[in-house]
Amino acid sequence: MLKIIDLKAEINGKEILKGINLEINPGEVHAIMGPNGSGKSTLASVLAGRDLFNVTGGKVIFKGKNLLDLLPEERSREGIFLAFQYPVEIPGVSITNFMRAALDEHRIHKGLKPMPAMEFLKYMKQKKALVEMDAKLEGRAVNEGFSGGEKKKNEVFQMAMLEPDLAILDETDSGLDIDALKVVANGVNKLKTNDNASIVITHYQRLLDFIVPDVIHVLYDGRIVKTGGKELALELENSGYDEIKLEADKLNN
Amino acid sequence: MANYMIQKEKIKDNLLSLYSKENDFLLNKRLKTTLSNIITEKEIPNIKDEEWKKTSLNGIFKHKFEKGKKINVPNEFVNTFSFNDSDADRLVFVNGIFIAEKSKITQKLNNIYVGSLKDGLKTHKEIIKENYCKTDIHKQNFFTAINSMYSENGFFVYVPDNTILENPVHIVNFVHGDNKKVFSQTRNLIVAGKNSIIQLISSYHSLSEDFTLNNVATEFIAGENSSIKYYIFEGEGNLASIINNVSVNQQKGSSFKTNTSMLCGNLVRNEIHVKHEGEHCTTDLQGIYLPDKEQHFDNFLNINHGKPNCKSNQLYKGIIDNKAKAVFLGKVYVAKDAQKTDAAQSNKVLLLTDNAKSFSRPQLEIYADDVSCAHGSTTGQLDKEALFYMKTRGIPEAKAKTLLMTAFIGDVLDKIEISSYKDYVKYLVNKRLKGQKVEGLCTLKICPSC
Repeated sequence: MLKIIDLKAEINGKEILKGINLEINPGEVHAIMGPNGSGKSTLASVLAGRDLFNVTGGKVIFKGKNLLDLLPEERSREGIFLAFQYPVEIPGVSITNFMRAALDEHRIHKGLKPMPAMEFLKYMKQKKALVEMDAKLEGRAVNEGFSGGEKKKNEVFQMAMLEPDLAILDETDSGLDIDALKVVANGVNKLKTNDNASIVITHYQRLLDFIVPDVIHVLYDGRIVKTGGKELALELENSGYDEIKLEADKLNN
Repeated sequence: MANYMIQKEKIKDNLLSLYSKENDFLLNKRLKTTLSNIITEKEIPNIKDEEWKKTSLNGIFKHKFEKGKKINVPNEFVNTFSFNDSDADRLVFVNGIFIAEKSKITQKLNNIYVGSLKDGLKTHKEIIKENYCKTDIHKQNFFTAINSMYSENGFFVYVPDNTILENPVHIVNFVHGDNKKVFSQTRNLIVAGKNSIIQLISSYHSLSEDFTLNNVATEFIAGENSSIKYYIFEGEGNLASIINNVSVNQQKGSSFKTNTSMLCGNLVRNEIHVKHEGEHCTTDLQGIYLPDKEQHFDNFLNINHGKPNCKSNQLYKGIIDNKAKAVFLGKVYVAKDAQKTDAAQSNKVLLLTDNAKSFSRPQLEIYADDVSCAHGSTTGQLDKEALFYMKTRGIPEAKAKTLLMTAFIGDVLDKIEISSYKDYVKYLVNKRLKGQKVEGLCTLKICPSC
């Protein structure tokens, strides 16, 4: 589904991604872990199409298409979804209107007509239940005045609405208490099928207790330095990143 | 310099030459003398005047004006610009001239008057005499002075004590140059009795692609505990300018609210002056302005808190596109005795291009010591983070921008309480923000939204 080949990216002349290689197949959950500043969020941003970053090399093939040639909105319609680490507040734009506009675009892209209003509301209600989102939130402006937990639930709700092929969850666990974490993880798990895939970016092993990955990658200094099964998370939890850092630094020198 | 002086005299001469005699509303002899003196003494406002610093009229007065004539308005246009106001009484003016046959006046009971100011002389002469220039509107500047002296007509609404005007009154103001450069004037008076309730819409439109200047002066006398809601819609053509002055006297316990939508025009200047003459008054002035191309929109709000325990609010939001320029000057004056004044002011502006300009100047002058006065002014661009966020959900950039802009001014438009008018303004604003043509209007080549 997704193939990243030697991807390099920089910001303001500083290279952040120094050659990432990664392949994800339908039905798989990949976790990307790593210390602060290793490039995890940059990778997520580059995949979503944030123009802050300059791609200096490599390729990303998504469902046979060259992802880097597409605009962020086109990537979304092709089936990429980024759940933000810090969801943005959009004053004055209600969640209903926001999702309506987004879903219309996705449907037009698929050659479908916009969903009739009644059907849309029903569909939205169903998806909200998935993340136990408060009904009162739908009239409110997107993320405005939301708590940390509500913002993250809103991300997973949007993911449920748009049914992406590849979801990238950028530190979805940050700022969540254990109850909210369970709700959010539960939502993500319910959305999992054999045809879609996700990339879970996280610092901690905690989230991976709830969203169990098939593969774990450790990102350090812009490169994937270690790949393993879900047991790698526990290993990291016990020993920290120091050993991996040391090894990687040795290799580089 | 000398040249400039001559130029200014020329402009005055040009405008004054359009009128052979003073209007019929100067029923007070002393007023006539006062006006003559003001007109002789006052100069055409220029950028040396504190309140006109950022608004130059030089571009307008490069041209010599003729007086607007009565021109037939096809029903089609009246219908198009009536904003689905089927419940409203409608007064139609062309170049300041009242068109009775296109107007619709149903509210006449209980000595209510809705109609032209000139016709009002027949039945309500004393009330006009008592209230004409009562707000001192004629002392504001040269334009309000010549308007007071020479404007030949306008609308007049009188609602007696304890009376409710059931339906809104929509005053549709057209300008039509008929291939000439035309100057026209309208003079309006609203007298609201004690405990009365009034809703009005004044809308301004062009019927031709001519260079026009419309000098409007409107006085409100808000009686005790009266409630007035006044909506202003400005959608004249790209060559059409308006100098609009609204002056208000508020008596004890009265409420005066305006909601202005500025969508199109060449140079549009709105002044709203409000004076509290009794305690417990409420004033709420809100507006949006969306100048495009090289348009110049200017709002000057001036609230005089002369009495204690009054409340005022100013909320103006602008979205400035292309090379357009917007000016906001919001004054709040709190007199020494006006304790417990509660005044708030906010001006928020979005600049869409590097060439768009916005000048915002809040000005508080406070002489009382127990007051709450807040003001804020922000100028910025569309939130890039929000745009990216929306794009990652599949929404294209243009649509995301429209959503953000619509949301930005949404709270002001939502305050409009006449739903048919609100829907219409929202429709036009939406079209305007999307850069789309308005069906039925754009074909006239005088689209009010672009």
